[in-house]
Amino acid sequence: MLLPAWSRTLTTTIDGNTAHLRPADQTLLQIKDLVVEFDLGGGRIVKAVSNVSLDLVEGETLSIVGESGCGKSTLGKAILQLPAPTSGSIVFQGTDITKLKKKELRNVRPAMQMIFQDPVSSLDPRFPVSRAVEEPLKIWNRGNEAERSAKVDELLNSVGLDPALVRDRRPYEFSGGQCQRISIARALALEPKLLICDEPVSALDVSVQAQILNLLQDMKDAYGLTLIFISHDLAVVKAVSTRIMVMYLGKICEIATPDELYSRPLHHYTSALVGSVPVPDPERKVSATLLEGEPPSPLDPPSGCRFRTRCPAATELCATEEPMLRLAADGHYVACHHPRA
Amino acid sequence: MDSVKKSWVFRITIAWFTLIIFFAIFGPLLPLPKWDQVFDDALSVTPFKQGHILGTDSNGYDIFSGIIYGARISLFISFTAVFVGGTIGSAIGITAAYIRGKFDYVVSTLFNVVLSIPNLVLSLALIAVLATNVDPNVPTSTGRRIMVLVISLTIVIIPILGRIARAATLSWSNREFVLAARSMGSKDRNIIWRHIVPNVLPAIFAVAFLAIGVVIVAEASLSLLGAGVPDGTSWGSMVARGRNDIEFAPHIIIIPLVCIAFTVIACNYIGDVIRKQLDQRQAKL
Amino acid sequence: MLKLENLEISFATNRGSLHAVKGVSIEIAAGESIGIVGESGSGKTVLSRASMGLLAPTATRTGTVTFDGKEISSLSREEVRETWGTGMAMIFQDPMTALNPVRRVGSQIMEGLTVRLGMSKADARKRAIELLGRVRIPDPELALNKFPGQLSGGMRQRVMIAIALACNPKLLFADEPTTALDVTVQAQILQLLSELRKELNMSMVLVTHDLGVVAGHTDKIAVMYAGEVVEYATTKDLFARMRMPYTEALMKSIPRLSTPSGSRLPVIEGRLPDPTKPEPGCLFASRCPYAQEKCRTQHPDLTTDSDGHQYRCFFPLGAAH
Ligand SMILES: Nc1ncnc2c1ncn2[C@@H]1O[C@H](COP(=O)(O)OP(=O)(O)OP(=O)(O)O)[C@@H](O)[C@H]1O
Ligand SMILES: Nc1ncnc2c1ncn2[C@@H]1O[C@H](COP(=O)(O)OP(=O)(O)OP(=O)(O)O)[C@@H](O)[C@H]1O
Ligand code: SF4
Ligand code: SF4
Ligand SMILES: [Mg+2]
Ligand SMILES: [Mg+2]
Repeated sequence: MLLPAWSRTLTTTIDGNTAHLRPADQTLLQIKDLVVEFDLGGGRIVKAVSNVSLDLVEGETLSIVGESGCGKSTLGKAILQLPAPTSGSIVFQGTDITKLKKKELRNVRPAMQMIFQDPVSSLDPRFPVSRAVEEPLKIWNRGNEAERSAKVDELLNSVGLDPALVRDRRPYEFSGGQCQRISIARALALEPKLLICDEPVSALDVSVQAQILNLLQDMKDAYGLTLIFISHDLAVVKAVSTRIMVMYLGKICEIATPDELYSRPLHHYTSALVGSVPVPDPERKVSATLLEGEPPSPLDPPSGCRFRTRCPAATELCATEEPMLRLAADGHYVACHHPRA
Repeated sequence: MDSVKKSWVFRITIAWFTLIIFFAIFGPLLPLPKWDQVFDDALSVTPFKQGHILGTDSNGYDIFSGIIYGARISLFISFTAVFVGGTIGSAIGITAAYIRGKFDYVVSTLFNVVLSIPNLVLSLALIAVLATNVDPNVPTSTGRRIMVLVISLTIVIIPILGRIARAATLSWSNREFVLAARSMGSKDRNIIWRHIVPNVLPAIFAVAFLAIGVVIVAEASLSLLGAGVPDGTSWGSMVARGRNDIEFAPHIIIIPLVCIAFTVIACNYIGDVIRKQLDQRQAKL
Repeated sequence: MLKLENLEISFATNRGSLHAVKGVSIEIAAGESIGIVGESGSGKTVLSRASMGLLAPTATRTGTVTFDGKEISSLSREEVRETWGTGMAMIFQDPMTALNPVRRVGSQIMEGLTVRLGMSKADARKRAIELLGRVRIPDPELALNKFPGQLSGGMRQRVMIAIALACNPKLLFADEPTTALDVTVQAQILQLLSELRKELNMSMVLVTHDLGVVAGHTDKIAVMYAGEVVEYATTKDLFARMRMPYTEALMKSIPRLSTPSGSRLPVIEGRLPDPTKPEPGCLFASRCPYAQEKCRTQHPDLTTDSDGHQYRCFFPLGAAH
């Protein structure tokens, strides 16, 4: 670029990191400059999500992948205002929900549901399964007793659990994967428009995982569900998503369609990620190029590009200037000064 | 749980509780002399003599009757103080931990401040404030003194149980099922009632039993200091009355002390059993 | 090191007895690593908990578990506790419920070190920081002072791993240790476990549903289905020559990077049989593409072929029928 460095920083602040956003009127959800901070006391503030922008078109599945602790769950919860983000806007179906009053927000809630990461702790240990799945219906007074009960059976069936067997049992009587299915059933009860799935299948074995993913696919087709899919299983992500967003330490590194991303990872972190996928073949030795270096402290992230302390291609520029997301190929955006060829 | 139920300690504990609660409720209906009936001919008799099962004290009061009537007052005071204090404390603790923020800060600071004052000093101070009449010449009535005792002990209990309720709530309200309930649009009130309260209750119960023990001891100590129930009987005041006779009629003081000790130990034991069950459930062992 | 013989575990439920683990016999030598894979609900966790002497009170167990030459059920509760941490340790599947939410991470890691190893506070702290660093938690000193709720899911899981590794156990049960971790950290953690295995001659039971994970890090694999071990062989042998139709189905449903995006994933139709109702035939019969009449009426026994490969099927793959 010919522009002097200062002018580039200037554009950043004005423009934000939003090159990848589509026109607002086409989207179901548009998030701009979302920041989530946690106060650890003693003046120490962790910026778990920093200036993230993203959008979703109806019917789309956006997957979020990234290193453990990079802020994926926090981002997902912030969209539901649990807790509300520190700053930024979240426009859902045309309204900025960060500005809503408590009552108005409550009315939006059924349209957005989330499957939480920890399957066992997302169920109340004292509630039998039927009551757990029925709860959202009860809160919103959907149907009468019998209708709700029928709906619960239908939901349990659709996540591959036999209602007759599981209805009266409590969460601790189930395996981790079974708990996950129960919470999926519960999240689907209100027929949401947007479903945020935080590692929905990581506790499941491959066959059930496939069942659930297919189920989500069916639900998508049947109800026009839009999905945000947080996962670390790149193969799963590839199968389900329309777009994939890669995060590192609270920031977006790269956004692309799955085929494009895996065949041509441009960001150096993405390529490390793709290279570390375990392969079910004992003969293939762990060729994985293990990511070098210590993960940086979230309290004091590296200047410039946050990946620079572990990046093989880092230069002076990476330390002084933060790379912005820019278009690299059709629908493929990357935030890197020296993207891989 | 089954193995606990079979243990003899557990059975004795339950038996002891049943016994004293039975006496506390039905005591006055039993064919026994009133606790303050004076047997002039039998001062300080030792147990099983002259028709007094547990003997008499130096005033000629029948000790067995005293224990039974005393159970009534002692248990009334401790159960009421723990129940009322526990309810108020839990309500405050749960609310504070649920909504966090400034309110929580104020509440937890207050709890800590109050907890840093020794129980006895606090209740003495409260009694001194609450039980003084405007006209110092009119003596305060027994009923009023009991009320004051209960109120001051209640205030002592509030932060003890409040802090437990707060801690338990903090741990539960971090669970994702609470987040899930919120994301489904559950109202805060319902989340607290349906998800938080039932889960924190066992922890509160466990400590409440310990607290009953604490209150029984506190009541006894206050009696010794002359701030207990005057002209009435409670185990504490029996100890207080008997302390001068300790050299020549030790049974007068030993019997109520044993009752107090038994009850306190029983309370602690039950509290412990509940806590262990809880730990096991949490560890899913 | 650990020997399970004919282990049976059932739970008393209000619908009758739930048979979660059926006649499992497995042996693990020092330094050996065994993978346990199988469908969700097939009894993997219950099996490892039982080996640790960590079962719910509603459970009944028959068969023997021998650890370090001692029968677990002959030990008192206290003696079993003694073996935890230094003898056997477990990485629990759900970190959020296994960690105490109101105690700081540091004190939970240091507890084992001070209580079991008698370390001083300062030493324990040092070791805790070292452990957190080894499981690749950024800024370990900061993490030490956090509560579990302030960590991400994957960080909690790594704290669990740090706690399990704290006292250098002889045998580690890792129950889905990497489910919440992204692949780069997962690779590092698995590498760490392999290193420790060499360094300390630690044995490991790796429970997972990810065949990719077991492939590179185990010597043997036991495939479980509905509480039974249905196939048991060395890792190499299993992948080269699987005999069970179930294992084959499992392999087929693994999503791979090479599967085109947007495609439906292959599933094993149907579901696990009801664990409270005993079935006469092969438990996989209702879902097995090779099932024949015999499978529905007779229960196949564990067969061992000449090279020690065990399977539970009348019509194993690769055999002529
Ligand atoms: N405490 C309990 N009471 C009753 N049933 C139980 C209990 N714990 C587990 N089960 C049952 O035992 C079976 C095996 O459970 P287990 O947790 O071992 O499965 P798993 O193989 O670990 O599955 P996952 O991969 O989903 O964790 C399940 O059917 C479960 O419902
Ligand atoms: N309540 C909280 N208080 C303080 N810090 C928090 C809190 N919740 C999350 N964090 C911090 O925010 C960062 C991001 O956490 P988050 O749970 O979003 O990660 P994640 O991407 O979901 O990781 P994982 O894949 O491991 O689940 C972490 O450094 C974590 O320690
Ligand atoms: S900006 Fe620099 S440090 Fe960051 S990924 Fe690109 S090359 Fe590496
Ligand atoms: S015994 Fe029959 S039903 Fe069972 S796995 Fe073998 S072929 Fe399939
Ligand atoms: Mg997460
Ligand atoms: Mg399990």
